[in-house]
Amino acid sequence: MITEHGIQRRSPIGIVIVFLILVIFAIWTIFPIIWAIITSFKEPGESFKATFIPFKQFKPTLYAWQDAFVTTRDRTLRSLRNSIVIATISSAIALILGAFAGYSLARYEFKKWKNKDISLFILSQRMFPPVAVLIPYFLIMQKLHLLDNITAIIIVHTTMNLPLAVWLMLDFFQDLPKELEEAALIDGCGHLKAFLYIALPIAAPGLVAVYVLSFIFSWNEFIFVIVFGYMKAMTLPVMIAGSLSVRGLDFWKVASLSIVAVIPPVVLALVLSRYLVRGLTMGAIKE
Amino acid sequence: METLGKKNIKWFFLLPALAYLIIMAILPLVWTLTLSFTRWHANVMPKPKWVGLGNFKYFLFEDPRFWHDLGFTCMYVGISVTVELIIGLILATLLSQRFKGKNFFRVLYLIPMACPPIAVAFLWRMMLHPDIGVINSILTSIGLRAVKWTTSPKVAPFTIIMVDIWEWTPFMFLALLAAFQSLPTELYQAAAVDGASSWQMFVYITLPLITPVIVTISLIRAIDAFKLFELVFGITGAGPGSATESLSYYVYLIGMKWFKLGRGSAVSWLFLAVLLILAMLLISRFKKIKS
Repeated sequence: MITEHGIQRRSPIGIVIVFLILVIFAIWTIFPIIWAIITSFKEPGESFKATFIPFKQFKPTLYAWQDAFVTTRDRTLRSLRNSIVIATISSAIALILGAFAGYSLARYEFKKWKNKDISLFILSQRMFPPVAVLIPYFLIMQKLHLLDNITAIIIVHTTMNLPLAVWLMLDFFQDLPKELEEAALIDGCGHLKAFLYIALPIAAPGLVAVYVLSFIFSWNEFIFVIVFGYMKAMTLPVMIAGSLSVRGLDFWKVASLSIVAVIPPVVLALVLSRYLVRGLTMGAIKE
Repeated sequence: METLGKKNIKWFFLLPALAYLIIMAILPLVWTLTLSFTRWHANVMPKPKWVGLGNFKYFLFEDPRFWHDLGFTCMYVGISVTVELIIGLILATLLSQRFKGKNFFRVLYLIPMACPPIAVAFLWRMMLHPDIGVINSILTSIGLRAVKWTTSPKVAPFTIIMVDIWEWTPFMFLALLAAFQSLPTELYQAAAVDGASSWQMFVYITLPLITPVIVTISLIRAIDAFKLFELVFGITGAGPGSATESLSYYVYLIGMKWFKLGRGSAVSWLFLAVLLILAMLLISRFKKIKS
């Protein structure tokens, strides 16, 4: 067997062991998702039992899905819509501001404050814990009458995604040749035009990557939405947390709502997979 | 617009993002700092009252709960990151070889970290329910004892760690796999010609080359893990008692549940100070990578 790191021979037993480890880890990884799907097709009473095979061990029903999309239709659809609107808009703002700033740091020289210092300062904002700003945010949003309003969450999620957006766009622009823009500038093209019509189109994969990554982070975010979006502005994560009541945890609700909440980010992560590692490691590792 | 000089245009591009961050990230942190020197129980007091270093004194010397939460958070970060790194290294080594179905595993392992953490937390809470959860049912059906995953103060911290390992091992694995693939193959070919075993290659070639990457991704993961909130909120609700209370959860509780805004601000800054150490280490790594 030829490996990527040279020539190695492996015994058939070795290959079987390797494969076995991978399969065991795969089962461990996928089991919660499979279990969520199974549970979402059970009746409440059945959802507390360890039965796996539909028709044979339990009678599949659409109870959980009806509960989510018929009985509590308004809440579910409102959460879904809020999640989509918040993630779409906040990622767009982060991307636009991030692309401009990243381009500026990649192509121009800042003398007084060094480019590197500015960009590392911006990146450092990514590392602070969200709870450290909860109290001032709460006071600001209260003053602006934005509590339980999706505008507040959009503003906050933009803040959360902006540092990484700037940093990654800077990284993408640095990887691209600047000769095209330089030629255009010599031909009398303005700086803004050179950025919009020449640099941006070639950076398209980077733009998509940053947008999708920001979207996933915003979609998955929980602390800010539980503080700033309890009713009108609630998102799917808040609704999932709502399946815990005084009676205990409604298993069927957790299952169906989690599936709805899990599908978009997982699909987007698959779309992004070429850039996912680069994004999550803040550009430290490139595939 | 086009008449702006080169000097101005760069600021015109940079300023919106910079201003946004200064207003929304830096100013609130400064505000938190000033509030941290006050007593302000917002439910009963209309205005904050200056108390100097009182809040900090309270947390550092009189509040065992702060130290417990700091201890739990540190233990959780230490164990999670270490175990994730080890499993990630093993899997990445196994999967760096070419074989059919490799992409299937890569895609599959990507799922946990893409999921909303709160969904992960509640799905595990459901499966780990001590009486009616599926995991204890499986354990008892194969003759093992049921485990008090979320109700024993001894077990619950490790339950949180276990779920974190489920969620984030794929990150380590994918990052390491990408790093492995950028290693120069010539070295391995030369070593193979000299008759080195695959273990020797791993220890003498792979590990030294990969160490900077390991340090970077461990720091990234540690900083992220330090902010632990969703898993605690969803799986145990910080219980039993406050056995699994993380620092983030404590800040949330003091500030947003008890509305002690002065105390909450002070504990935020203590939390921030600890994170700052990790953040500085990571920033210095990035400084090296960029130059």
